Amino acid sequence: MAESPITTHDPKNEEQGPVSPSPQQKKEMEQNYAQMKRKMSMQEIGMKIKHKIMVLSGKGGVGKSTVSTGLALSLAQQGHKVGILDIDITGPNVPKMMGLDGHKLHVEQGRIHPAKGHLGVKVISMAFLLDDPDTPVVWRGPIKLGAIQQFIGDVEWGNLDYLIIDFPPGTSDEPLTVSQSLPNIDGMVIVTTPQAVALLDSRKSITFAESLKVPVLGVVENMSGYTINGVTAANSSVEIAGPGGKTIKSTSDENGNFSVTLDIFKKGGGKSTAEDFGVPFLGALPFDPGFVRGGDDGVHKIVSDPEGASSIAFSAIVKAVQAQISDKPASSLEII
Amino acid sequence: MAEQMPTLVRIERRESDFHLTYDNEEEFSVTYHDLRHACPCANCSPLRNEDETSLKLREQVESFKLHKPSVNPVGHYALNFIWQNGCSNGIFRFERIWALANRRDPDNGKPYVHGAW
Repeated sequence: MAESPITTHDPKNEEQGPVSPSPQQKKEMEQNYAQMKRKMSMQEIGMKIKHKIMVLSGKGGVGKSTVSTGLALSLAQQGHKVGILDIDITGPNVPKMMGLDGHKLHVEQGRIHPAKGHLGVKVISMAFLLDDPDTPVVWRGPIKLGAIQQFIGDVEWGNLDYLIIDFPPGTSDEPLTVSQSLPNIDGMVIVTTPQAVALLDSRKSITFAESLKVPVLGVVENMSGYTINGVTAANSSVEIAGPGGKTIKSTSDENGNFSVTLDIFKKGGGKSTAEDFGVPFLGALPFDPGFVRGGDDGVHKIVSDPEGASSIAFSAIVKAVQAQISDKPASSLEII
Repeated sequence: MAEQMPTLVRIERRESDFHLTYDNEEEFSVTYHDLRHACPCANCSPLRNEDETSLKLREQVESFKLHKPSVNPVGHYALNFIWQNGCSNGIFRFERIWALANRRDPDNGKPYVHGAW
């Protein structure tokens, strides 16, 4: 840390010159100075990053990190400069999905330099700071808050077109801290799965976004349907026992190819939630076991299969997000 | 949401109300007091759950001196109104403004329930 430029001055003792602060006062002043520098740095970072998008969900396990990394990679595929800030302090898993497992961060002159993952996407995550991946991070709120502010203010992101911020599930400290620290956040993407429990929590996230005064860019429905492809006799009917014992029928084409989509966690809940709350529905992502394998292997499905159904679905979602944050005025509304 | 809502194309700030014009040429007025009483933020919304607190909220917004607010678009789906006093937190979706314009309950009779925080 640079030496604090702060000294105290008492006009009553002008003849005696400046009074030296006590060690305690000096420590407090240095802390305040560091905090002020960090705030200025956060403002500067806010200006260097054109678009900042928060990715949240009310419930865990709905695929937030998958959506965050997918959005980042899909944007990078378009040629944008992209970064991901994995703010999930206690369960960071973005590095593994981005092929950066075990990577250590480079720190120079007190500034943290992000790691570079697939397609040049810059990544910052708590996982980089853990010596042992099996060691849990057990921090109370204020310590967590300090770490998040450090992750925002002390990182040398450079100029970015998009910063995707991946949060832990729920509506607690982390999004509150980020929304108060980072200026001009474009909005939140709410990730949900179609089942009622996840939808209930997503509704809380939407209300939460409103209380933070952060716009909801829209809702993404993940794990929307699992498509089975197969081959049988040409032009023949196929019956599959679907979820709940429901029979799903299909007919093969002239080459014998057929496909059936199973709505494992129901379907359409994300869209109806978005409609209920009057926020945009950004699209649905198929249930794709390739994301699990890709996540485990460190090669994201968008990288390994850029023309696949999931990559196409992500591309459509990215376009929907971009439509929301475009610099064009909201419709042709005239305000006088 | 079965209802097809027209697009708000013009919003005029008058002395004590907004004059709204939609693309189907329908025109409405919404008073500043009605709009502020219908604020959807997490502070104001719970106050409308009970008649007594709702009345207090109404008295509070009516006690503010009337002035023209700043109007800021939020994404492509909502507006935010900045007032010189009181609450400016609410993000008003166009559906909510449409409901107010048509003198309907913008909360659809549903009580507000706080999120998990």
